Amino acid sequence: MAANRTMPQSTSAPATAPSLGFLNPSGSPALLESLDAFCSIDFTAPQAESGGGIAYAARPHRAGQGGLQAICIQPEAPPRAAAMAALAGLAEPGLLAPLACGPAAGPNGAVGWYVICPAPPGPPLWDGSGVPGQPWSEADLITRVLRPAAAALVALERRRVTHRAIRPNNLFLSAPMGPVVLGEAWSAPPASRQPAVLEPPYVSMCPPSARGEGGIADDVYALGAVLLALFLGRMPMAGLPGTQVILRKLDSGCFQAMTDGVRLPPLLGDLLAAMLADDPQRRPPPALLADPAAARARRVAKRPQRRASQPLLVGETPVWNDRMLAYAMARAPQDGMRLLRLGVADHWVRRALGDATLAARLEDAARHHAADAASGEGAQLALCGAIAHLDPLAPLCWDGLALWPDGLGPLLAGLDPQDPALPRVAAMVAAEASTAWAACRPGQPAPPPPRLDARAQRTLLQDRGWTGGLPRLRYALNPLLACRSKLVQGMAVRLVDVVLAMEATAGAASGPTALPADPELVAFLAARQHGRPGPGLAALGPGTPPEELALTLLRVLAPLQGAGAPPAPHLAAWLARTAGGGWDAWHNRALRALKQQQASAAAASGRLAALLPVFDDTAGRRADEAAYQAALAEAARIDAALRALTDPVSLPGSGMRTLARDVAGAVALALLAVCAVAAAAG
Amino acid sequence: MPRTAPGRALPVVQGLLCGIFAAAATPTALLAAALLTPSIGIWLLEREPGRPVARCMALCGMAAAAFPLATLWGTGHRLETTLALLADPATVALAWAAQGGGWLLAEMLPLLLSAVSTLQAAARVRALQAARARLEEEWGIPPANPETPTGAMPSGTAPVQT
Repeated sequence: MAANRTMPQSTSAPATAPSLGFLNPSGSPALLESLDAFCSIDFTAPQAESGGGIAYAARPHRAGQGGLQAICIQPEAPPRAAAMAALAGLAEPGLLAPLACGPAAGPNGAVGWYVICPAPPGPPLWDGSGVPGQPWSEADLITRVLRPAAAALVALERRRVTHRAIRPNNLFLSAPMGPVVLGEAWSAPPASRQPAVLEPPYVSMCPPSARGEGGIADDVYALGAVLLALFLGRMPMAGLPGTQVILRKLDSGCFQAMTDGVRLPPLLGDLLAAMLADDPQRRPPPALLADPAAARARRVAKRPQRRASQPLLVGETPVWNDRMLAYAMARAPQDGMRLLRLGVADHWVRRALGDATLAARLEDAARHHAADAASGEGAQLALCGAIAHLDPLAPLCWDGLALWPDGLGPLLAGLDPQDPALPRVAAMVAAEASTAWAACRPGQPAPPPPRLDARAQRTLLQDRGWTGGLPRLRYALNPLLACRSKLVQGMAVRLVDVVLAMEATAGAASGPTALPADPELVAFLAARQHGRPGPGLAALGPGTPPEELALTLLRVLAPLQGAGAPPAPHLAAWLARTAGGGWDAWHNRALRALKQQQASAAAASGRLAALLPVFDDTAGRRADEAAYQAALAEAARIDAALRALTDPVSLPGSGMRTLARDVAGAVALALLAVCAVAAAAG
Repeated sequence: MPRTAPGRALPVVQGLLCGIFAAAATPTALLAAALLTPSIGIWLLEREPGRPVARCMALCGMAAAAFPLATLWGTGHRLETTLALLADPATVALAWAAQGGGWLLAEMLPLLLSAVSTLQAAARVRALQAARARLEEEWGIPPANPETPTGAMPSGTAPVQT
């Protein structure tokens, strides 16, 4: 069945892994280097009715296009890169499809990133203040809401994309009595702005940023919830906290909990019963909703809900069925582990619910990880498996966190570095919990895969140095997340942005006071480099000398500054100054002076590519080092010769005197011989 | 019977031989002793092993005494001839001057050679110091150990003490 949570992963790349062309500014019209060339954004005041995000009116530069809106991307909520890549160029009248995404100078001159899409054609069904509108008739609901929304969902499903933002204030009337248009859903993580009542309980139990792309069946559920709200003229279960909403849905089923005994027209009642089914696989696909009569006729047998005669207390929460038990154990992991370890959970399931098979699975899950339960990881894996056995539809639950695996990236993006949830997320990744969780829910469709599988995530997490850990994972899983390094001041989303952002930092009035790289920036660069980062980046760490750090950064940034890019003299001077700490490595003074002169000239030009060969001269350094060693040897030889000349012990004084006396004796002897011969000769 | 030490046997033998020589060839011994008196004196005073100065003086003196001895031996080897030769101041002056020349030769030749050696060493030191200065300037090599004198003449090249 297509209309379930597995939809995006049923095909390959586009929905889950944006193509490189999308990330390449020149490869796709959806991602622009600057929005200034595409439209003019009016930053005087945000639009009152934008569907959830902060949006500004925009005017396209090309004639013939209607009004646009620019939705501001929040730093902690990355946009949906895969969805925007898949929807580039889509012309669907019932949908505000993304047209472009890129940076623009905001109200205060600060550069921000915006998603451009058509402006809403009219007012939203409900405004954002939460004040409900008048109840809608069944005919209007089917004609003006269900059919156009289903048509838009069909278009989305065709492109393997979900909407995940169907709510009354994000559905817009195209005309006073016209069909509705689905608002934008691309500038924030999927379903992150959805209230709990409009989402299935397995989605709303996750943090807003960790809900994942989901499936088109989740959009069908949200559309059904919106239809019910419009029919009632109020939001169902209004005023209840999210936890109570989820518990009620898990206790009595979504449809019963949402309608709460309200009498519905037969056609609408049948449609909503199907659309609000607990199991995504039992919800009708959007194509079927286009013909409500056919959708009504499609009835799927529903599994009877078992309910215990006596509740089980998990902490303070009484649970009546296996789904409630799973949710309660997920919320209170310590209580859940205690129930699991003591055998209370499987005993209750066997006796109160009469499900011996499920009880045996719980026993197995507890026993399987009993050996390493003391480490904490084993206990969490046991609890994770037990929850998956209790409720196979539930998301991955780990130490009080609930998330869909493909929501890990936005979840990491939304957490502060000091957030107490971060260590739990790290432990979950290190344990490859998503793999264990998927193995515990056989028969269930696999959820949309994240950008990196569990093993790759663990590898990145455990990578030591600045190219690993949670920052690297955060950027690897969020292709459009802005770098959080203070060195780029939130202005770098792509690799090519780093040069200009650092140039702005270096050119600030106060001037750069820190090193030109930090762990966040290195993790960002490593994640944005296609393939594995080079050995230079991987070698960076807390103990890296500044000059080596600057040289490595120069190697990375120099290719990013294209020939037509504006010069970056401040950044070049910054890098040259930091890398110049390594001038002492050049021994030859004349060569060092020449290099310094070349570095100054290259830095003044602002071209990093010209600066790089000045510092990145391995052959020159090697030759200089060899010549230096030869010079040292020559100096040592000279010193030895000088010592020999001045050493009194080795002086030839006495030998010289003896030799001179011997010479004198020889001269005298020769004289004697001559005289003797002369005398003898007469 | 007391035994004579080995080191003192040679002078005794030499003295005995000289006595025999003086008794057998008195004119020659007298003439040689008179002409070589400076050498004999230096021989007795010099304490350097091998007595190089006395040896050089004696050889020069014997060279100067070759002609008077030839005259003596050619005229019958008589004592009168010896006395006549010794009465000639030129003969004695020539022999003694030759021994003086030998003394000068033995004393000045070491000084001359030492001076030449000193000049060569100083030139060598200057060349080495210049080469090292170039290396220091070009490569930033630290200066040599201060204990190594690089600016003064090598002390060992000072004049030889006799």
